[in-house]
Amino acid sequence: MKCTIQHDLPGRLRVHLCCGRMTLSQADVLEYYLLSVEGVKSVKVYDRTRDAVVVYDGARAGVVRALAAFSFAKAEKLELVPEHTSRALNREFEDKLAVTVMRRCVSRLFLPVPITSALAVLRSVKYIREGLLALWHRKLSVAVLDGTAVAVSILRGDYNTAGSVMFMLRLGEILEEWTHKKSVADLASAMSLKVDKVWLQTEGTEVLTDVRSIRPGDRIVIRTGGMIPLDGSVVEGEAMVNQSSLTGESMPVAKRPGSPVYAGTVAEEGECVISVEKVSGSGRYDRVVQMIEESEKLKSTAEDKAARMADNLVPYTLGGTALTYLVTRNVTKMLAVLMVDFSCALKLAIPIAVLSAMRESAGYHISVKGGRFLEAVAKADTIVFDKTGTLTYATPTVAAIVPFGGQQEAEMLRLAACLEEHYPHSMANAVVEEAKRRGLSHEEYHSQVQYVVAHGISSMVEEKKVIIGSAHFVFEDEGCRVPAGEQEKFDAIPAAYSHLYLCIDGVLAAVLCIHDPLRREAREAVKALHDSGFSNVVMMTGDNRRTAESVAREVGVDAVYAEVLPEDKAAFIRAEKAKGHTVIMVGDGVNDSPALSEADAGIAISTGAAIAREIADITVASENLFELVILRKLSQALMGRIHGSYRFIVGFNLSLIALGVAGILPPTTSALLHNGSTLGISLKNMTDLLDEENPSQT
Amino acid sequence: MDMKKIGLFAAGVLFGTAGLKVLTSKDAKKAYAQTTAAALRAKDSVMTTVTAVREGADDIYAEAQAINDRRTQAEAEAVVEDTSEETEESQAE
Repeated sequence: MKCTIQHDLPGRLRVHLCCGRMTLSQADVLEYYLLSVEGVKSVKVYDRTRDAVVVYDGARAGVVRALAAFSFAKAEKLELVPEHTSRALNREFEDKLAVTVMRRCVSRLFLPVPITSALAVLRSVKYIREGLLALWHRKLSVAVLDGTAVAVSILRGDYNTAGSVMFMLRLGEILEEWTHKKSVADLASAMSLKVDKVWLQTEGTEVLTDVRSIRPGDRIVIRTGGMIPLDGSVVEGEAMVNQSSLTGESMPVAKRPGSPVYAGTVAEEGECVISVEKVSGSGRYDRVVQMIEESEKLKSTAEDKAARMADNLVPYTLGGTALTYLVTRNVTKMLAVLMVDFSCALKLAIPIAVLSAMRESAGYHISVKGGRFLEAVAKADTIVFDKTGTLTYATPTVAAIVPFGGQQEAEMLRLAACLEEHYPHSMANAVVEEAKRRGLSHEEYHSQVQYVVAHGISSMVEEKKVIIGSAHFVFEDEGCRVPAGEQEKFDAIPAAYSHLYLCIDGVLAAVLCIHDPLRREAREAVKALHDSGFSNVVMMTGDNRRTAESVAREVGVDAVYAEVLPEDKAAFIRAEKAKGHTVIMVGDGVNDSPALSEADAGIAISTGAAIAREIADITVASENLFELVILRKLSQALMGRIHGSYRFIVGFNLSLIALGVAGILPPTTSALLHNGSTLGISLKNMTDLLDEENPSQT
Repeated sequence: MDMKKIGLFAAGVLFGTAGLKVLTSKDAKKAYAQTTAAALRAKDSVMTTVTAVREGADDIYAEAQAINDRRTQAEAEAVVEDTSEETEESQAE
């Protein structure tokens, strides 16, 4: 498309597109098209002026070429734009704000006093009615105070003050609604992540199929840890389904043949076949929005406290007003007290701070499901890591296969891959990848997969019972044994690797050595976490003790627990909480889910299993452990800001009241100062908490 | 009954019938629509101006940052690094 360059700096370009009107969706198309261009860091498209600002760190020529090659029709076909963007929402509220401000300006500048007064009276009806309604419900809430302030001003004939009070209240309402809706929308689009592939059941076999090609009536198989991608009903099997993403209820629900299941819920345990009723895109996003709005997750306790305090302060303010009048017999002084209802400042500024922190964290690819969890992260003194996939890379590899009992190495890998294919864990992925790499095809020749979460898998292959899993599961639970005369070989298996044991009919057939390298930044990140105030950094793993301890030493954690079961992880967290600690759990797999929900804040690394993402309170989409440090700094900065706002609002407004009663400030001035300070602190609370260039250093 | 009251009454009747008719007539509605459209256009043009001003401000900010970057770079280049130890070593070799 033809464009003109308006402003040109190294690494930044502002261009004007020579097209007719630009619609909101076209602006989105352009924005996501430019974002997909190599080297482009950020894009901002202004549809009103048809301008686009591109920040890039690659070659300028590439960006210019991409702009020249752009056309709306072509770019639209690429389907780069996500299902929901917040452009329309932002536009709606920007307009609302602008209209409110403009109306105020116009009416103050041009309209004659009688008309503005009449308008003020008209608009005051709403506030007075709300105040009366609150009184009717026997609640002394902020609405009562607002109503009284407006009513008294109107009754005194002071339409100007009434007008500015109502103007400020209206601005506050719009800002609050905007931030609220925006953060809900952001959260929902982060949460309505889709699973792309499902197991489609066709005449006795299962085929991995793209979710978009599923039609109503198809039967899909869901196993432990899998997300149910579509609405439907169970036709076979039984599963415990976690529906917390819809209902907020954390206890899983048993689903039997005939029970309905909903898209976005997760099978915690068991296996079932689902007959699909509705296909992709049928309102999952809207349901997530509804869920967030209904659940109390959005509110942090600090936010709650602010709201409660705001309402609690109302009687005092009213009492103070009455007392002032009784003592001074001066309506002006009485009004000075009434005009300064700091409750609304608290109600506005603190939620805005929380929502803005959630928005900021989204910028670091961290999605937080509620302000409460940021508070927990700020307060926590204990952080528990599940080793695999968090402290180590999420992509372990098979380093060696040691066959036993005369078995073939390749054959054992094929068998292992066949079992592990269904299990959503990074170690399992390693096995499947290795088989793929060696060109071993593993047709689904086992008949029945049974799941034992976290320990391993058991299955029937050609009438033989095959199990694969940890030492604990294979040797203690299932009573497998090492073939006679091979104990020495078994002992000589290197301890530096994690091990998977494969047994056929109760006899060890092979040991798969999994190399699970530590993340490069793990040591530094753990140190940074210590510095940021964690007194207890704990590592937990199902691996053998020797491997775990060597890793623990390398990383520098305070405590290590090896060979643990998922229940143990959860139990440990419960015990720590009972001791009065605030605990964060970081995990990525199915086996972490009990611990994730037990912790004060469960953090999932999003490369992991769907269930971990669903259950976790916070999801980190990045592969860098320093994101945790950023999250910590952000939460601490947020708590600092909340407390600061609190002190400022109460202190500032108390002095306004004192000055008002002393007769130094007239009511209009104190109302102006009060509302101005409220707006000011709200605007300040919308700014970023962390230094953009160096987020982990603030 | 004085004439003023009768006059007011008559005016009221007149307004209640003919006046309302005029205010709710098709032509009046057209005029309202035109006025509203003008107001909306005014709002849009204000918003466009605001956007343009914002873009300009962003440009200025970005340029200012670039200037400062260049300055710090120039300052860094103006410093001669202390390589006394390295030169001694190389001389000793």
